[in-house]
Amino acid sequence: MGLSSAAITTPSEALKFCIFDLRRGQHEGEELEKILFFFPADLPFPTQLSVIGLSEGLITFTRIFSPEAACEVIEAELHSHVFFEAEPDIWMVMVVAKNKETEAIWRIEALRSVLKEIHSLFIMFHGSIRVLLDKEPGGGLTRSHLFTFIMDYLNDFLMGNKFVLPNFRDSLKQRGTVQMLTVGREAAIEVQSLVGALDSCMGNTSGYSVILFQDLLVSTTLTPDDTTNLFSYATSRLTPRVLSSGRSSTWSYLRKGNAELASRSASIGSGLDGFRIVRPLQHGKWSKGKDGFLVTDIWGVEVGNLVPTTPTLWLQQTEHKMYLCAYQHKSLTIILLIPVTSMLNGEEGISMLKQQLLENASAKIVKVEEKLAKGWGGENAYHVKGYRYLLVDGDRNISRASPPGKVTTLTKESLLAINKVREDVDLEKSRGNGNNDDKDLEICIRAKNNAWVIARSTRGKELYIVLEKANETLLYASEAIEKFSDRYCNGAFSLD
Amino acid sequence: MSRNTSSSGGSGALSHAYIHYPPLRCKNNGSTGLFYDDGNKLLISPTSNQVVSWKTSPYTPQVASTTDTISEGPVLSIRYSLDLKLIAVQRSNNEVQFWVKETGETFSQKSKSESDTILGFFWTDCAVCDIVFVKTSGLDLYSYVPELKSLELVDSKKVNVSWYIYTHESRLVLLASGMQCKSFMGYQLSSAGIIRLPRFEMAMAKSDVNSKPVLSAEDVHIVTVYGRIYCLQVDRVAMLLHSYRFYRDAVIQQGSLPVYSTKIAVSVVDNVLLIHQVDAKVIILYDIFADSRTPVSAPLPLLIRGLPRGSNISSSQSANDTSANLYSDDWNFLVPDLVCDVSTGFLWKIHLDLEAISASSSEVPLVLEFLQRRKLEAKKAKDLCLELLRSIMIERRPLPVIFRAVNVLVTSFAYSLKTGSYSKSTPVNSSSGVPENNSGNKPGDTSGGGFSTSDSEDNINLKKENGENLMVSEDQQESQSQLVTSATIPPDELYTFVFASVEEEMIAFADASYLFSILLEFIRSANLEKIKVHPNIYVLAVRLLGRNERYAELGQFVLNKIIEPSKEVALELLEGVGSRNIQTRKLGVDMLRQLSLHHDYVVLLVQDGCYLEALRYARKHKVSTVRPSLFLEAAYASNEPQHLAAVLRFFGEFIPGFGTTSEHTTYIRALADMPSSITV
Repeated sequence: MGLSSAAITTPSEALKFCIFDLRRGQHEGEELEKILFFFPADLPFPTQLSVIGLSEGLITFTRIFSPEAACEVIEAELHSHVFFEAEPDIWMVMVVAKNKETEAIWRIEALRSVLKEIHSLFIMFHGSIRVLLDKEPGGGLTRSHLFTFIMDYLNDFLMGNKFVLPNFRDSLKQRGTVQMLTVGREAAIEVQSLVGALDSCMGNTSGYSVILFQDLLVSTTLTPDDTTNLFSYATSRLTPRVLSSGRSSTWSYLRKGNAELASRSASIGSGLDGFRIVRPLQHGKWSKGKDGFLVTDIWGVEVGNLVPTTPTLWLQQTEHKMYLCAYQHKSLTIILLIPVTSMLNGEEGISMLKQQLLENASAKIVKVEEKLAKGWGGENAYHVKGYRYLLVDGDRNISRASPPGKVTTLTKESLLAINKVREDVDLEKSRGNGNNDDKDLEICIRAKNNAWVIARSTRGKELYIVLEKANETLLYASEAIEKFSDRYCNGAFSLD
Repeated sequence: MSRNTSSSGGSGALSHAYIHYPPLRCKNNGSTGLFYDDGNKLLISPTSNQVVSWKTSPYTPQVASTTDTISEGPVLSIRYSLDLKLIAVQRSNNEVQFWVKETGETFSQKSKSESDTILGFFWTDCAVCDIVFVKTSGLDLYSYVPELKSLELVDSKKVNVSWYIYTHESRLVLLASGMQCKSFMGYQLSSAGIIRLPRFEMAMAKSDVNSKPVLSAEDVHIVTVYGRIYCLQVDRVAMLLHSYRFYRDAVIQQGSLPVYSTKIAVSVVDNVLLIHQVDAKVIILYDIFADSRTPVSAPLPLLIRGLPRGSNISSSQSANDTSANLYSDDWNFLVPDLVCDVSTGFLWKIHLDLEAISASSSEVPLVLEFLQRRKLEAKKAKDLCLELLRSIMIERRPLPVIFRAVNVLVTSFAYSLKTGSYSKSTPVNSSSGVPENNSGNKPGDTSGGGFSTSDSEDNINLKKENGENLMVSEDQQESQSQLVTSATIPPDELYTFVFASVEEEMIAFADASYLFSILLEFIRSANLEKIKVHPNIYVLAVRLLGRNERYAELGQFVLNKIIEPSKEVALELLEGVGSRNIQTRKLGVDMLRQLSLHHDYVVLLVQDGCYLEALRYARKHKVSTVRPSLFLEAAYASNEPQHLAAVLRFFGEFIPGFGTTSEHTTYIRALADMPSSITV
C-alpha cells in the first residue's frame, strides 16, 4: 500500500476526491445536492462545485462520442483526473497533482483500481449508493456513510499527515486481486476437508467459507468478486499481522485521525442523530477473543449484556445479507458467511454456530494450520532469484508478485520503465476491450539502466518481469522468461 | 442363496447363523461311536473291525466314506496320521495300537506302568516328533520309525495332568492340573518347534468360601481367530466366559463375556466367534479383531435352511427330528465350525448369514468393518458392502457417518494391498498401483497359528492356511465367486457400483454437493493410504461441481491438483463443464498441454481459431499427426490471406512433399482468389 513511497505535497493540493450523482441537483441553486462526497471536506463549496462541474462537463462531452463508456482519464498540465462510473450516473473522480520532482508518477489504472476498491467495499458493507439514495432522498445519511467509510479507507494511505497513493513503485502489485497460498496436494485435500467440516457446521444455511493463512488466501467458496472484496477487507483488518500491528505502531496516529474524522462526520451528519453510522473500516476495532473468534463493537453492542452485534455484509452477486463470523487459530483465519435470513434466532443462532465450529471443526483447524505452517516458506517464499515479477490471472482475479522487500531493491529507472510498460499494456487491453480479450501480447524493452523490462499477456493471464542483472541479448531475456514460465506458470507464457 | 424359512426352523426366520439341510450323514451300522480327527478333518466311525471315515473338508453332504479294516477291540479314540498312512487306535488306558495301511502290519505302544494312564494322543507336524501321548504323568513325544515299524521316544515332559485339550488348528495342547484343575501348562508343537507356555491359572469364582468348583475340560475351549490363539473358559459360578490370549512369552487375560447358559459351546466361522448358549438355544456373535467385547449382534437362534417342505412325509419327519434336536445333548461341537449329532450321525456345518448380520445393525461403519474382514463368503460380503454404502448415501445419512464408512472401505483396501492378499485374487491393471504379491509364506506362518509376541500385538497375520483351505471349499460351492477371495473393494469398483450409480439417482441441487463432499472424503482417504484414484472419480467430481456452478472452486481443485490431471478430466473440463464456463474450458486446455497430449492440444487450439499458435506448438513438439487441412480451413475461414499464406508456407517446409498434394493446389488457388492476395 505504497507505504514505502516518499512524501508528496500537502493533502489538499495533491489529492481531491469526489463522488457525485448526475441525477441530482440539476436545477440552478440546487447544485450542492449532487455532491455526495468531497475530499478535502473543508474546501469551500464553490471550489468543490468547480471540480465537479469540470468533471461533469467532461463526462457530458465525452458521452457524445462514447455513450457507453465515457471518459476514463483526463490529463491536464498539472493534474490528472481519474474517472470511474461506480453506478449508473454516480461518478467517482480523483484529481491528483502531477509533480515530476517528487514521486508523484502514477499509473492511471492503479488509481482507478483504488476507486473500484472503495466502491466495492462500500457496497459490501452498506449496499449500493443508489439504493441508499432511493431510500432516503435527502442524502444526508448516504453522505455520512460515504464520508466516514472513505475517510477510514484513506487512512490506510496516510503517512504522517500526507496521503501516499499507489505510484510507480507499486508497479509490481495488482490491487483488487487475491494472493493465494500455494499448497501441496495433500495439504489442499486437508483444507478442503476442513471446508467440508465448516460447511456442515453451517448446516443447511448455504453459507460460505473463506480460509486465509497469514495474508494469503487458502480456500474460498465465494464467487471471485466477493472473494476479492472479503480478501482485501480481511488482509487489511482481520489477519493476525493486522491485529498485532493494530495494537502497536499505527495506533497513535490512527486515533488522532479518527478523532478528527469523528468531528467532521458529526458536522456533516447533524440532524441525523438517530442514525448509527457503522464504520467497518475503522482501525484497531477488531480483536481476538478468548474462544478464538474475532470480535468487534463496530456493529454495536447488544443492549444490556455487552455482547457485540455480529457484523453483517452484502454479497455482490446475490445481494444476500450475510453474517460475518471470523475465527482465528495462529496464522489461520477462517471467515464464515451465513445468510441472515437463515438465522431465524439471530445472535443466538450465531453463538450456536460458533459452538458447533469449536466442537466439530477445531481438530481439523489445528491440523490444517500445522500442515500449512510446516509448508510455509516465510514472507519471501515466492521470491524467485534474479527475477522481479508480477503474475496476474485475470480469469480468477489472482496475482502473485515478488515480495515487497525484494521489489524495493530495484532502481527507480527500472520501476519507472515497468510502470510505463504496464500503462501501455493497460491501454492495449482497453482498446481490445470486448472483442478479443484473448489476444496475445508481448513487450520486451531494454531500459536506460540496461534492465530488461518484459510484459507478456496471453489468454487472460499477464506476466511482468524486470531483469536487472541480465545479459545484453534479447535471446537471453526471452529464455529467462521461458524458464520462468515453465517453472512457475505451467508453461502458460511459453508461446512456442 | 434362497432362504427357505420353514416354520420348523426355530423361532421365526431371524437368525445370524444357520446350518444347511441336508447334513452329512455319518450313520454306520454297528458303529461304536463317532470320533473327530481334527488333524485330518475326518469324521471317523469305527465298527468292530472296520473304520469308516468321511472327509469333512471340503464340506459336502454327498461325500463318500472310505473304509479301512482293523482288528477287533475296544476303541477309546482313533486318529489317522497326518500323511494318512497309519491309523492309531487307543485300546485301553495304557495301550495304543497302530496299523500301517499299506501292509496291514500292526504294532502297539504301551505305557510303562499300569498307573500311568494314557489320556489321549494326537499326531503332529512338529519337527521333532510325529505323535504325542498325553498321560497323567505328562507328555511323551514319539517319532515313527517306518523301518522298524515302531515308535521311538524322543522327549518327555514331566507334569501332572488331570485332563487336556488339544486342537490341531492351534497346535496347542493345554494340560490342566491341580485340585480345581485350573492350573495350566501349555505346549505348542508347530513345525517351527516346541514352545512352552508359562504356567498360568484360570479365574474361578466361588459360590461360597468353602466350595471349590472343579474346572472340567468341556468348559475350556481353544479358539483360533485371525491367526491368534485364545482360550475361552466358562466360569459357571460367575456366569462369565473368561478369555485369555496366548503369546509366545505370555498368557494375558483379555476380559470376560457374559454367558446366559450353564452349558456353552464355541464355534469359529470365518474368524467370527460364535458362543452357543446351549440352554437358551441362542448364539451370540463376537468379532474380536480389535479386542472389542461388544457382540456383533443380539442373541438369536440357529436356523436350519433348505429343509424340504411337507409333501414328502418321511423327509419332513426327519426334518422335524432334526429341528427338534437342535442343541440336544447329543450335539458335539467340533473345531472350528462343525456340529455332530451323535445320535443321528448328522454332521452340520455352521454358516454365518452375512445379510442378516448386516441388516441387524444401524451402525453402518461398524458393519462394513465386520464385512471387510470376512473371507469365507468374500463375494457376498463385498456385494453387501457396496449395497450398504450405496443405500446410506441414497438415504442421505449424515456426512460423518458416510465419511467413516468410506474410510473403512479405503483403509481395508489399502491394507489388503499391503499384505498382498488383494492382488492374489483379482488381476489388477498396473495403473492402479497395486504391488505384486510377494509375501507368499512368511516364516512362522506355516504353523497355522504361531504365536505373536506380546509386544507385537497389532502385527496380525490375516493370512491363515486354514482360512485358505476353507475358502477353497466355499469357492467350489459358488463358482461365480471364484475370483473374489477378499471383500475389499478397489476404487474403480467403488466408482462403478456406488458413486456412478448413486449419481444417477441424486439429481437435486443439494445432492450434488452432498455427493461431492463424499467424493472429496474418498479422495482424502485414498490419498492418506496412497491409493491411486480412478480418473472417473475425478471426472465425476468435476461434473458435480459444474452442476452446482461452483466454477471458482473447481478451479482451485484443479490448480491444487486435488483433482489429478488426466485426459478424461481434461475432456470433461473442456466439453462438459467447459461448454458452460469459459474459465473451466481454459483449465482443460492447460491440462491437455501439461499432460503433453500434443495432438489433442493442437486440434483444440485450431478449433478455438488459434491456428497460428497451434502451428508454433506443432513445430516445437513435432506434432505431425494433425491434418494440414484443419489449419488451412481455419486460416481460409479467417479470411486473412497473409495467415493462409503463412500456413501454406509452413506446411511446405514442415511436411516434405506437401507442395505436390492436392490440398496445396486447392488452397493456393483459394489464396489467389482472396482479395489483396500475396504470393507464397
